[in-house]
Amino acid sequence: MSGQGGADQGYRIVSILISGLLVYGGLGWLLDRWLGTSWFMPIGLVLGVALGVYLVVVKFGRSQ
Amino acid sequence: MIPLLIPMEGESHWPPGVDSFDSRPLFPELGPDYYWLNNHLAQAVIGAILVIVFWLWVARNQKVVPGKKQFLGEYLYNLLRNSIARDILGHDYRKYLPYLVGLFSFILVNNLFGEFFLFMFPTFSKIGYAYGLALCTFILYNAAGIRKYGFGNYMKRMTLPAGVPLGLAWLIIPLEFISNFIARPFTLALRLFANLFAGHLVIMVFVVGGGMLLTMTEPANGFPVPLLNAAGAVSFIFSFAIFALELLVGALQAYIFTVLTAQYVSSAIAEEH
Repeated sequence: MSGQGGADQGYRIVSILISGLLVYGGLGWLLDRWLGTSWFMPIGLVLGVALGVYLVVVKFGRSQ
Repeated sequence: MIPLLIPMEGESHWPPGVDSFDSRPLFPELGPDYYWLNNHLAQAVIGAILVIVFWLWVARNQKVVPGKKQFLGEYLYNLLRNSIARDILGHDYRKYLPYLVGLFSFILVNNLFGEFFLFMFPTFSKIGYAYGLALCTFILYNAAGIRKYGFGNYMKRMTLPAGVPLGLAWLIIPLEFISNFIARPFTLALRLFANLFAGHLVIMVFVVGGGMLLTMTEPANGFPVPLLNAAGAVSFIFSFAIFALELLVGALQAYIFTVLTAQYVSSAIAEEH
């Protein structure tokens, strides 16, 4: 697909993983602040990492 | 010698910090309304003019058998065309090539400003300039995608990759949206800005600090003068290694920014695979 030695794909994958953490971790943090709880953020972080990994597999896993 | 190398630095500016990156208005006597007309804006404009003049100069008087000038121009152009545009964008790379060539040379020239006299300041260590470039790329890849697929179809393609079951879609859509429309331009800008900011700060510490140590005339912190001066000399010598590193970083960041721009355009207009 590309002849860049994979560096550009690597950047895209890293940005997907990070945005998974940020989006769902951030959502959990907001919920925690709003409801005064403290367990939404850890759940959000785990969910975000899992979804990020899943998304990487879906987008890049089978194009090789 | 030190004020010549880094015009903004004086004895009062030690240690170098964020305020060493402040712009100076070119015409302070005109009042705050014209403060936007500052030295860094001028250097960005000069960078743009240099890029335009360079490409016009090498493109003029083209001959079948290239001379030295034309060879240089064609070599640089081919490098960008073959190793970035054609590799990543495939068969319709031609439309995006002018932007990619302009982008690469503009970033490269502005990064090299950080290592050469006259400016001694990389323009993109001011984050606003990096945001501006990222905004151009953001508009380009979204416009390319919307023109090819239409707005609704494009948004669907960019937020829901093929192969995701519907049950997971509501979790994936916000994630893809943030990743493609917010994380992309910000990481693009921050990567460029942070690399140049950090590099320039290190250079200032080495050069300004080395200069201070070299000109010490009385003991400080219990260290004798000869030791301080020797440390200053060593710091100056090592600053050349840092300069070389910064040349590499500047070129590398220009390359990465261009490659990622091409990559984003390519993913916006990609066929299903």
